[in-house]
Amino acid sequence: MIEVKHITKTYGKKDSVFVALSDISFVIPDGASVAILGKSGSGKSTLMHTMSGLDHPETGEVIIDGQNILALSQKEIDKFRSHKMSFIFQSFFVQAKETCYDNVSLPLEIAGVAPSRRRSKIEAALTAVELIDKKKSKARTLSGGQKQRLAVARAIVNSPQILFADEPTGNLDSVTGAVVEDLLFNYNKQNKITLIVVTHDPDLANRCDIQIHIKDGKIESIEGLK
Amino acid sequence: MKIRDIAIRAGRSLRQAKARTLLTSLAIGVGAFTIVLSLAVGAGGRTYVSNIISSNTNIHEIIVQPKQDKINGAAKPQKYTDDAVIDYGAGYTMKLLKQSDLDKISKISGVKSITPDYIVTAKYITGINNEKYRVGVTTILEGLKLEFEAGSKDGVENGGIIISDRYVSVLGYKNATDMIGKNIQIAVEKGSDSPLNPETKLFEFKVVGVTKKSAMAIMPSNGVQLAPSEMEKLFNYNQGGTSLANSYPDVVVITDDNVNSKDIKNIINDMGYDAQTAEDLMSFIFQFINVLQGILIGFGALAVLTSVFGIINTQYISVLERTQQIGLMKALGMRRRDIGRLFKLEAAWIGLLGGSIGAGLAVIGGMIANPHISKWLGIGNISLIIFEPLSVTIVIIGLVIVSVTSGILPARKAAKLDPIEALRTE
Repeated sequence: MIEVKHITKTYGKKDSVFVALSDISFVIPDGASVAILGKSGSGKSTLMHTMSGLDHPETGEVIIDGQNILALSQKEIDKFRSHKMSFIFQSFFVQAKETCYDNVSLPLEIAGVAPSRRRSKIEAALTAVELIDKKKSKARTLSGGQKQRLAVARAIVNSPQILFADEPTGNLDSVTGAVVEDLLFNYNKQNKITLIVVTHDPDLANRCDIQIHIKDGKIESIEGLK
Repeated sequence: MKIRDIAIRAGRSLRQAKARTLLTSLAIGVGAFTIVLSLAVGAGGRTYVSNIISSNTNIHEIIVQPKQDKINGAAKPQKYTDDAVIDYGAGYTMKLLKQSDLDKISKISGVKSITPDYIVTAKYITGINNEKYRVGVTTILEGLKLEFEAGSKDGVENGGIIISDRYVSVLGYKNATDMIGKNIQIAVEKGSDSPLNPETKLFEFKVVGVTKKSAMAIMPSNGVQLAPSEMEKLFNYNQGGTSLANSYPDVVVITDDNVNSKDIKNIINDMGYDAQTAEDLMSFIFQFINVLQGILIGFGALAVLTSVFGIINTQYISVLERTQQIGLMKALGMRRRDIGRLFKLEAAWIGLLGGSIGAGLAVIGGMIANPHISKWLGIGNISLIIFEPLSVTIVIIGLVIVSVTSGILPARKAAKLDPIEALRTE
């Protein structure tokens, strides 16, 4: 369960204060798929960064499994992210000059998984996104859709508890986008992990269990929450 | 993240920018090349010099000179003493050792023999073709190793003479071997005669050995050498009856085999003389080599300093280029310390690569050049460039440390990078 309590985040100083998030509170049950919807500049990305501990709001708490991650030390929050969270970005951020294998290996290395135990995990992840035959290929040789599938493999390789996806289909055409969406939702359902998608695409949002609408840093509405 | 994985990733990202990595490490390579080569030249030089010392000196040899007055060339007139002196005028004098001094020194237990340095000014030398040539006449020293073109030292005590190969053809001989056994004459003036028309006497000697220029000789014997007994005869004729009779600028003391010549040296010094072992006299050459080596290493250090800025620059650019990668790694939970380590290890690889390239080229170049240098200097098979594996290793390790130090600033920049800024799509 993820509890977000009274998050407020501002940018700038005194005269030119910009409120990115204003008193945001909601609860996400384990294993849910959540869409954070909003226009660009609405604060949805900032919310995602705050929930993952990358950004530090002025006030508020993000409680995951009973622990306020915003109160953790940098070392603890890094460890928390490396073991329990993963990310997918609109621009993929795969390392073009590295092989697919090495790209997927990165989260395992960061989490300190022993080399002997990595191979099977990496191959399983690449198989799940149907890129196992590209194992030794450099990531730059892949198409856009393949790159995002590689990013999905990288995101699931360490069996995260929460998967953040920031506009995962934003740079893809509808066909390849659908493939990536299917991968994410199947993984969410099969492994009972929490999937948090940041998007402005209503079709993608509608596939999620919960939709949180953000406007000007405030929650406009929350749909689907029982 | 494990240090091994970081090291592998660091190596991989360097391989992805091969040209840049190579160029940056070449800068440090220049420093490594210079430093390794100067260390090798220094080591070679010192070995060469200690060879020279051991072949030119006898460890049982002590050179004793009178202690010169501290105030020399004083404005005040000096009181007369009955010391033997050479007066150069203007108050500058050089004290000499007298027979009484020699007697005192020879009484020290442990002194085997004492040979005065006879100063003989020969007028000329002449041989089969009666041509007259100037020549330096010196006493043959027991400790001195000579290299012979023909003949040997044997028989020099019985009216023999050892002559430099430079005199072979000018005195009218076919070659060095031809000269052996032949008689030559040395003309010496009688010092006690009127300097306007002195009596000149020809001393005849039989050639027993012809020396050649030795690679190891610090003072090549380019004149003639005589046994002490023969030198004494010439000296007595040359200086006898003059104020310099029975006085010598220095004497060579040979100690017994079972005593330490340094102990005897101290005893002689305590008696008020200025005694030095042969090794003391040669040690200045080491100082010269060390200074030379220091200068060369200084140039190498300058090259390393330049390369430090190269590394800092390269790594800064690398951090800027890989902003997104750093952001991703941070988002995935990579610790700041590990990100810093990644960039420091990249710098370390650059240092290791540059150091190895430079040191490798220096070793290869040195090995190729060594025989040519030895040949050019005419010192035979002696190596003037000696690579010591330990010092090469220390240089490389040192450069790796320097590189890591240069990588600290860029690494800190990478570690401090805000992941949110780094991951902004636009």
